[in-house]
Amino acid sequence: MLNGLTRSYSDLKALDGLSFTVTAGQVVGFLGPNGAGKTTTMRAIFGLTNLDSGTVVWKGSPVGEAERRRFGYMPEERGLYPAMHVAEQVEYLGRLHGMSAHDAESATKMWLERLGVAERADSKVDALSHGNQQRVQLAAALVHGPELLILDEPLAGLDPTGIDAIAEVLAEQARSGCCVLFSSHQLDQVEDLCESVTIIDHGRLVVTGKVDELATSGPRRLVVRVEGDREASWARAIAGVTVSEVDGGAARLVLEPSVDSDSVLRSAMGAGRVTEFVFARRRLSEVFREALA
Amino acid sequence: MKVALIAVFAVMVASARLWLRRRSQRAAQNLPRRRSGLGPFSSDVALVAAREIRERLRGRIFRVGTVVILAAVAAAIVIPVLTRTKAQAEQVGVVGALAAPFRTAVIGSAESVGTKVNLVHEPSLAAARGALGSGSIDLAIVHDRELLVNEAIAANDTSTTAQLVLTLAQNLGVVEAMVAAKLSAAQASLLTNAKPLHVASIQPGKPKGATQTTSVVGLILVFIMLSQYNTWILIGVMEEKSSRVVEVLLAAVRPVKLLAGKVLGIGLVAFSQAALIVAFTLVLASSVGSDLLKGTAPLVLASTLLWLVLGYAFYCWVYAAAGSMASRQDQVQSLAFPLSLPAIFGYVAALTAAGSGSASSLVKVLAYLPPTAPFAMPVLVGLGAVTWWEFAASVALSLVCTVGVAKLAASVYQRAILRTGQRVRFREVLSRRAA
Repeated sequence: MLNGLTRSYSDLKALDGLSFTVTAGQVVGFLGPNGAGKTTTMRAIFGLTNLDSGTVVWKGSPVGEAERRRFGYMPEERGLYPAMHVAEQVEYLGRLHGMSAHDAESATKMWLERLGVAERADSKVDALSHGNQQRVQLAAALVHGPELLILDEPLAGLDPTGIDAIAEVLAEQARSGCCVLFSSHQLDQVEDLCESVTIIDHGRLVVTGKVDELATSGPRRLVVRVEGDREASWARAIAGVTVSEVDGGAARLVLEPSVDSDSVLRSAMGAGRVTEFVFARRRLSEVFREALA
Repeated sequence: MKVALIAVFAVMVASARLWLRRRSQRAAQNLPRRRSGLGPFSSDVALVAAREIRERLRGRIFRVGTVVILAAVAAAIVIPVLTRTKAQAEQVGVVGALAAPFRTAVIGSAESVGTKVNLVHEPSLAAARGALGSGSIDLAIVHDRELLVNEAIAANDTSTTAQLVLTLAQNLGVVEAMVAAKLSAAQASLLTNAKPLHVASIQPGKPKGATQTTSVVGLILVFIMLSQYNTWILIGVMEEKSSRVVEVLLAAVRPVKLLAGKVLGIGLVAFSQAALIVAFTLVLASSVGSDLLKGTAPLVLASTLLWLVLGYAFYCWVYAAAGSMASRQDQVQSLAFPLSLPAIFGYVAALTAAGSGSASSLVKVLAYLPPTAPFAMPVLVGLGAVTWWEFAASVALSLVCTVGVAKLAASVYQRAILRTGQRVRFREVLSRRAA
């Protein structure tokens, strides 16, 4: 739980009384535009930035050195010793989190295999591809079996296979009771992966909740396709209806509460042959844009 | 001086014994190790230090560097011994018979200049000239009346041959005068065996060659090693910052522990390398009978080792703090140069003093300043220009300043290590809030 985190740099308020809670057993997406304060929040959890005010609380008590050892961290700008061997490095970080030499060794072996980089265990980190370095970085965050996993842009720059592999591990971690908080700009992936999202802007909380609830809340949405009308000009004339996007002839419409969907259907039929007419969930990208509007 | 060194080593040994006794008591009582307070602190520091040691020992530069230093030390020990052996037997050609009193005088003269002679019979003056020209003899005694050398002896020539020639000329002249004076055998013997008067001195003498060589070699090694280890600290801290691994490390370990582990690890590598060099020096020097360990040279060696440790302890914090302020290699260059100036100044001043054999007032002052004392103080020890309490005072001052510098450096490190981008200015770190 984060209580009223505040951090200023000269004239800039990076965090402005930010508070939110992360629930165990969930993958939580941490979203916000560039400069919203996501990285500063994550660093604050690890004591890597000095807060002007506010506290980070874990299981009822303020987070200190002992608690942080039970957390796993993958920073935005990856951090590994370039000239150190992969397995040695992961083991070393495991030991710094309080593991015995034996446990660190076996956990390292397990995670490198699980993430598909076991055959590179004796390579130096700088000899690895970007994707493999990312996997090693994740192994370093996971090796000690953290209770809370904080990942800053873990999917950035990965190919679809890499994204799937990491997404699967994160979901598995959450199922086993770990709290997973990760930031990303790829909202579609966040939507697939997360049960909850927290959106911040200008260092303040904008919205937080379960993805399902956020998707079904807010105004109704319709996807309507009228043959021969690729611009959805018929819909733009209806009062209380906004065309949020037109994709290949399918218009995505946002309906105000006063608008009856039957009247929209009639207008569509008047414009031509209706080939698609479905109620749609609110996409995470829409939640994001509407929250920041 | 010896008292100070013995006291320092005694404290180190006593501390080690106390620690071992406590550990064995704890083991006997089967008490668990403390897991809070100092416990995790020391274990984190030990883990960080162990990684540093492993990585450094693995480096090719370290291994090649150690071999090069050992080879240089071996050369410094063995070459003087080999050249000394060659100088031991001066080849003296003899034209005509060498009368008994002259022979005695030749042998006595050789002893007085610290060499031996090998008398070689030359059948004629021409043969002696030829032998001198070819270098098979160093000088010739012609019919007890004349000394012949290949090249004229210069006034400032201090070679063994030159000294022998000048001494022989003097002594053989006296023998000739005794023969001319027709002294009795007893009288002649009394004169030729006359012992020189004892010379007393108020001040201790200047170091002899051996101590001087030890001082200079030790000084060069201290400078090279301090430069090398300080650079390791500087680059090591900068690399952790630039590769951003420090963010992952500091998520688990407090900055001060990370810093302490790094300087401890590199410090242990430094001390082990220095101890290896000293042990190698002692074993090699004693096995080849080198002069390098004669006189006060062992004392110089011990104080050099002690000051290497003290010098490292002082400088490592300074360089670590500087490393935390840089994010890139080019920023390191601009930081390293001003930091190395005090060490270069102290080194040059101390080297000049060691070379000239006299301690200037400047070196005496530098011996009390912690940045320059590691270079100046061992040289003063070699010159015999420092008392034990002056030595101890300089050690104490260095330790006190080291504690102050370490505190300041830890503060700078904590504030600067997570700030990336442009190089962090010293003023910013001290005046503004940390990142």
